[in-house]
Amino acid sequence: MLVIKDLSKQFHGKKIVANISFTVDKGGIAMLIGPSGVGKSTLLRILNNLETIDGGSITLDDKPLDNKEHISGMVFQGFNLFEHLTVEQNITIALEKVMGLSTKEAKRVARALLKRYGLLEKADAYPSQLSGGQKQRLAIARTIAMKPKIICFDEPTSALDPMLTSHVAKNIQELADEGYIVLIASHDTALLDKLDCTIYLMDEGKIVQQATSREFFKNKANYPLLARFVAGSIE
Amino acid sequence: MIDFQLIADSLPYLGRGILITLQISAIACAMGLLIGTACGLILSSKNLLLRSIVTFYTTIFRGTPMLIQIIFAALVLPTLGIALPPLWAVIIAIGLNSGAYIAYIVLSGIKSVSVGQREAGKTLGMNSMQIIRYIVLPQAFRVVLPALGNEFITLIKDSSLASIVGVQELTKEGEMIMGRTYDALTVYIAIAACYLIITGALSLIVSRIEQRMGTNARH
Repeated sequence: MLVIKDLSKQFHGKKIVANISFTVDKGGIAMLIGPSGVGKSTLLRILNNLETIDGGSITLDDKPLDNKEHISGMVFQGFNLFEHLTVEQNITIALEKVMGLSTKEAKRVARALLKRYGLLEKADAYPSQLSGGQKQRLAIARTIAMKPKIICFDEPTSALDPMLTSHVAKNIQELADEGYIVLIASHDTALLDKLDCTIYLMDEGKIVQQATSREFFKNKANYPLLARFVAGSIE
Repeated sequence: MIDFQLIADSLPYLGRGILITLQISAIACAMGLLIGTACGLILSSKNLLLRSIVTFYTTIFRGTPMLIQIIFAALVLPTLGIALPPLWAVIIAIGLNSGAYIAYIVLSGIKSVSVGQREAGKTLGMNSMQIIRYIVLPQAFRVVLPALGNEFITLIKDSSLASIVGVQELTKEGEMIMGRTYDALTVYIAIAACYLIITGALSLIVSRIEQRMGTNARH
């Protein structure tokens, strides 16, 4: 279980993440929603050691989170694929250089993941030759190749055609069903009814309302802030 | 009129000069690339002390004429007890000069690689050296290849300054032929043609590499 307790982070004296606490079980999805600049992405960046924290703690199964063991992985908003490497090399590079796998073994792992995400025939292509959806699937494959326990998605639908939202949701739900802890930061509420997740509405660095997606859609009246945000973003 | 017979007769001497010119250029290029890459990385780092040292070095070598640097290495250093063979004094002077320029070329390439690329490497568990070696530098060099090609072409032409301190490279060989024949027109046209062939070949190689890289990873 991932436990985030009293987490805080400041930039230039302004609290971006203000004493946030929540937990995510193995196989659970936490969806952080809210307008831009409320600290959603910062939280994911903290989990991936891209930002330090000013206070609070993060533990996974009662141990402090130490990403030196590749516990957390990230699918970035713009994917951040390595443009100078082929699709296959985007996956094998870290397997070889970080995990110490042989080239042959790294290729075997990469091929299996590319097959799973329908990218096998693109193995020798370069990221610039992929569509947005393919890029995202490659970013997911690259992340799970490192066998993290937590996978973070930063704005997973923002760089994609809205028609692909269902595919994105399916890919994310599959990962949770396989036991990964999934965290999503998004201001796009189109994913909410497609995922079995816990929704955390954030504002000014705090969680102002939370509900499971099932509870929320069963009785929106109980969650007025969430309902207003969802209605506003749909409008 | 151009004396083609003189050119034909001079080919062995010009060929010997070309070999020395290529030797100076190749070693100085390699040296400049190594120094420039290291300095470019330091300039992009947060280490103030190392950055200050590199800035001092580049200010000196970019702010003074290469001719002075060659004379200093070949003729002044021996008076201070550091006597290098003239060929090596020239190679070191040109290499250091080139390194100072390449440092800023490499720095501009490093700056062109988005922060997101480094972050992606970090989230995949790579350490700083691995991120530089496998992610940043390959992309930076692709961006700065045309500028590096220009720098190397300039370096080849600047190697003619070695003639000032008596190194028998292409220009010096030409001067010696002219001293015997007094045919400045023929000799200097022949020398210019030799430089043109060398720099043209390098341009072709660089543009082939650029094409290959462009085809491999189009943005």
